[in-house]
Amino acid sequence: MSTPQPSPESVAALVAQFETELAQARTARDAQSVRDRYLGRKNSVVASWMQLVASAPVDEKKNIGRYANELKQAVEARWTRYSESAPDAAPAGAVDVTLPGRVPALGHRHPLTVVRDRLEEIFVRMGFTVVEGPEAEDEWHCFDALNMPADHPARDMQDTLYLATPITYSDNDRRTLLRTHTSSMQIRHLQAHQPPIRIVVPGRVYRRDDLDLTHSPAFGQIEGLAVGEGVSLADLKGTLLAFAQQMFSPTSRIRFRPSFFPYTEPSAEIDLSCWQCDGAGCAMCKKTGWIELGGCGMVHPAVFEAVGYDAERYTGFAWGIGIERVAILRYQVEDIRLFYENDLRFLEQFPY
Amino acid sequence: MRLVTSWLREFVDVKASADDIAATLGLRGFEVASIEPDINHNGDGDAVIDFEITANRPDCLSVLGLAREVATAYDLPIMLPSADAGAKSRLATLPAGTSEWLKVTLEDEDLCPRYAAAIAEVTIGSSPAWMAARLQAAGVRPISTLVDITNYVNLEIGQPMHAFDLAKLAGAEIRVRRAKPGETITTLDGVHRKLEPDMLVIADRDRAQAIAGVMGGAASEVSAETTLVAFESAYFTPASVRRTSKRLGLKTEASSRFERGADPGAQALAIQRAVALMEQITTGRPLGPIVDCAARQAEPKRVHLRRARLALLLGVAVPDADVERILRSLGLEVTRTADGWDAIAPTFRVDLLREVDLIEEAGRHYGFDKLTATFPVMTQPAPAPDARIPRDQTVRRVLTAAGLSEAVTFGFIEAKASELFVATTPVPAIAVANPLSGKFDTLRPSLLPGLVDAVAHNRRHGRRDVRLFEIGARFAPDGETRGVAIAWTGGGSAEHWSAATREVDFFDAKGVAEQLCGVLDVPVRFKPLREPFLVAGLAASIVAAQATSRTVADGPEPGAVIGLVGQLAPAVADARGLPRQDPVFVAELNLDRLERARVAASDATRPLPRHPFVIRDLSIVVPDALPAEIIRGTIHAAGRETAAPLTATSFFDRYQGKGVPPGAVSLSVRLTFQALDRTLTDAEIQQSVDTILAALVREHGAQQR
Ligand SMILES: [Zn+2]
Repeated sequence: MSTPQPSPESVAALVAQFETELAQARTARDAQSVRDRYLGRKNSVVASWMQLVASAPVDEKKNIGRYANELKQAVEARWTRYSESAPDAAPAGAVDVTLPGRVPALGHRHPLTVVRDRLEEIFVRMGFTVVEGPEAEDEWHCFDALNMPADHPARDMQDTLYLATPITYSDNDRRTLLRTHTSSMQIRHLQAHQPPIRIVVPGRVYRRDDLDLTHSPAFGQIEGLAVGEGVSLADLKGTLLAFAQQMFSPTSRIRFRPSFFPYTEPSAEIDLSCWQCDGAGCAMCKKTGWIELGGCGMVHPAVFEAVGYDAERYTGFAWGIGIERVAILRYQVEDIRLFYENDLRFLEQFPY
Repeated sequence: MRLVTSWLREFVDVKASADDIAATLGLRGFEVASIEPDINHNGDGDAVIDFEITANRPDCLSVLGLAREVATAYDLPIMLPSADAGAKSRLATLPAGTSEWLKVTLEDEDLCPRYAAAIAEVTIGSSPAWMAARLQAAGVRPISTLVDITNYVNLEIGQPMHAFDLAKLAGAEIRVRRAKPGETITTLDGVHRKLEPDMLVIADRDRAQAIAGVMGGAASEVSAETTLVAFESAYFTPASVRRTSKRLGLKTEASSRFERGADPGAQALAIQRAVALMEQITTGRPLGPIVDCAARQAEPKRVHLRRARLALLLGVAVPDADVERILRSLGLEVTRTADGWDAIAPTFRVDLLREVDLIEEAGRHYGFDKLTATFPVMTQPAPAPDARIPRDQTVRRVLTAAGLSEAVTFGFIEAKASELFVATTPVPAIAVANPLSGKFDTLRPSLLPGLVDAVAHNRRHGRRDVRLFEIGARFAPDGETRGVAIAWTGGGSAEHWSAATREVDFFDAKGVAEQLCGVLDVPVRFKPLREPFLVAGLAASIVAAQATSRTVADGPEPGAVIGLVGQLAPAVADARGLPRQDPVFVAELNLDRLERARVAASDATRPLPRHPFVIRDLSIVVPDALPAEIIRGTIHAAGRETAAPLTATSFFDRYQGKGVPPGAVSLSVRLTFQALDRTLTDAEIQQSVDTILAALVREHGAQQR
C-alpha cells in the first residue's frame, strides 16, 4: 500500500478511508485486519509515518511527528467506537437493545412516611414499641392529664382547634378537639398498661395555625416515652444520642437546653450538632453549630398521678420531634407546603 | 423580656459581655430572641438582650429576676434593692399603717389577697433622660414622671403598679370588689366596657375606677394637672385576671404578668422603690404610710429535697456544695438534713412547688452537659406493635408496587369539597368550631376530597398520568376510622414504544382493590353502586363476602360494606378543578373494617399435586345483563357434583358483535380439573364439562358456540 506524505489533508483522507473500509468489513476478522493495516506495529500506515519521523530532517521532525500522532489518535478513537458498538452480524430476530424496556410502574412512599419509617426502625431497635392513637381527642387526655388544667397559661401555648359537635363513642367518651400533640396518647397508653413501658407514638397533630412557608395547621409528630424504675435524664440523653447518630451522622452530638413543658420536669430542648459543619457553624445551623430538633424531659409526677401511677416508684422520660422538621432538615426542603401538595415531581424524588 | 445590660449590672457585678451573658443564660432555660449591641452608639458596651421567658418563670419578666439567674450562672453575689444610702436600687423607708388620705377596703380576698397603696404629692413632668432612655431600651414608651415610675418598677422588680389621681376617687376611698350587675367602665384606651359580676374591679365609693390587674379607668387617669396620686401595688389571683382579660379580649402588660403569677410578697417593696424613684427624680414626696391590706401573708413554700432522688432523676450525682450554692443563689433558704435538704422557696418563685422542681433548678445550673449518656435498662422484651402499623406497611407496599405514590393531605377540608362527596345515605360532616381558614373548616369524612384535589394539582402542572393513594383518619359523629383511598387518571398501562397506551378504566381500579383485599386475606364481592359523586354504571360497593373459613369474632357481617370503587362524576371532577373529560377512577376502603374481616388463614402449606391438571375451554352465549359472578356461581355449584374435581374457573374472553345476537354476549370460560389422588380420564373430563354446560343451559339458557 502506498502511503501519502504526512499533511493535514492526508490525515483527513486516511481517517475517512479507514472508516469506509471498516464499514465494509463483513466479519470481526475483516474488521481486525483493516485495523491492523492502519494501526499494526509493523508495516501499517501509522507505523510507516512513525518511521518517517525518525528519518526526517530536523526542521521537519516536529510537524511530521504531530501529523503522525493525530492520525494515530483519530484512527484509534474510531476503532474504539466501532468495536464497542458494532455487533457481530446481527442474529435473526435481534432487537435494538438500546430501546427502553417496559419498566413496571412503581410508586413512592411519601417523604413523611420515609422519615417516620426510619425513626420507627431506629427506636424499635432500642426496644421501643410503636403505638398509635386517635387524632380527635378530649380535653382531659390532651391537657388536664398532662398537667395543663383549665385556666393554666400553658394551655394558651398551643392554639387548639375544637370540634363544633363532639365525636361520640359513648356517653362518657366524647372527643371535642383535634389533638395538639401526640402526648395525649402517652396518657391513653399509661392508663392501659403497667411499667416497664417503652413506646414511640407517631401521628398527625393539629394547631390553629396558618399554612405558610414554615407553618402548617397539621403536621406529623413522633413521641417517645419510657417509664420504669430508675429511668433518668442521662438515659434520655443516651437514647436520643443513639437515635441522632443513626438518623443523622455517626459523629452527631446532643445538647439539652433547659426549657419548660408542663408535662415534663426537668424539661429541655433537644439540640443536635449540625451534621453539615459538625458544629463549626454554617448556613444550615445559622452559624450556631446546633439545630433544634424538639422537646424532651422527665415525665412530670403530676402526669403519673393523673393516671394513678406511683410517682415515687416510677420515673420516666418523654420526647417529641416533628416529622416534617426532620424531613426538612434531611432533605433540605425549603417550603413545608411541598409535603401536602403531593406533586408527583416532588414525591418521585423519594424512595420506593 | 428586653434586658438592658447596664440595668442588670446594678444588681449583679458581672463583667462578661452581652454575648456571653446571652449564651450563658441561653443554656440555662432562657432562649435569646435577639441581641442589640451598643444601644447608646457610644461604645459603652450597653446592650439589650431580648429573652423569651417561658410560662413558668414570670419572675424573670424583670431585671431583678434575670439578675438572680446571671448571679447564679456566674457565681456572683446579688445586690438586692435596699434602703442603704449607697444602694443602686434604693428603697424608701416608709412605715405601714392607716392613711388619713385614703381608705382601702378589701372586699374580695379570694381574688385579691393583698392590696397595698400609698399617697404622694406630686408635680408631674417629663422623666430625666436616663430613665426615659432605659424605658425606651426596654421597649416601653416614656409618658410622664408618674407613669414612667410605675413602668420602671414593674420592669425592675416585676410588680405591676397603677397610679390613680386621688382627687378623682370619690370619697377618697378604694374598694376592691366584684363588678356590680350592669356596671360599666371606660378604660384608659378610651373603650367603654361592660363588666360582669365575676370580674374584680378597683372602685371608689361610687363606681369602678379600674379593672383589677388588667387596665385602669379613664376617669381617674393621672394627668399633667394631678397633684395627689394613689399608688396601687396589689396581688391579683392569676385565674381571675386571666378570665377577665380573656372575656374582655383585653391583654395588657399587667394582665399577662398577673396571669402567669406575680410575686405575692412584693407589694410593699414595689411602693418603697417607686417612692425612692419619685424622690430621686424630684417629682414628688410621700404623704403618710403604706396602706397594706393583706388577707393573708404569702406563705413561702417548704420543699424537701433528697440527695438520692436528685441523683436518680438526673442520672448524675451533683455535689452537695453545688446544690446548696445554686439553690441559695436563686433565693431559696436551704438547710441540710440527713438525706438531703429542707428548702424554703421565695414567694416570687411561683413555679417551685415540689421536689422535682428543685431537682430541675439544681440540674439546670449544674449543667445538663455534665450528664453522661447512658441507656435505660431493659427488664422486659418489647411487646408487639399496634396491629395497624404492620398492616398499613403492607397496604403501602401493595399500592406502591401497583405504581401508586403516597399522598398526605390534611385531616380537615373545606365544607364545599366535603359536600360534593356526600353519599346517598349521608353521614353528617363534623365542622371545626374555630377554623382559621374556610379551607380547613370541616373534618374529612372521606379521604377522597383531599386526594382528588391532589390529582387536580398534578393535572394543573401538566402531569397526564396520576396515581395516588393515601392512608389516614376519617371522621364521623360516631368515631374516627382509618381508611385508604386511591385515585387514578391517565394511562392504564405505562407508555411504551411497542404499543398504544391504554386509558385507565374501572377494572384497573377494581384490580387494585382486589389485590389489596387479597393480600389482607379478606374475601370480598362487588355490587353495583349508585352514588351522586360516582358515574352510574361505573361504580361498585365492596362488601365482605360469605367467609370460606372462620373469621374474627367481631368481624363485619357478610354483606357489610367495606368500601367503594368507581369513576368520579365529571361534575365533581370539574368542581375540583380537574378537566371534565378526564376519567378519574377512585376507590376507598375502611381499613378498620377490613382488618376485622380478615380470614384467619392457615400458615400450613398445601402439598403440590402429583397428578396432572386438565384444561377445557367453553364458549357460551348468554344474555349480556347476566353478571359474570352469577355464571361463575352456577359453574362452581355444578362443579361440586362432577366426577372430575373442578379446581379453577376463569373468564378469558368476552365478545359481542358479529355472530352473537343483540342483547347477548359470548363468554369464554377456562375450566381447570385436577384430582389429588389420580390422573383424570378423558371420559371423566367430558362428563364433567357436559354437566357444567347442562347447568348453564338450564339456569341461564346458555348456548354453546
Ligand atoms: Zn452547621
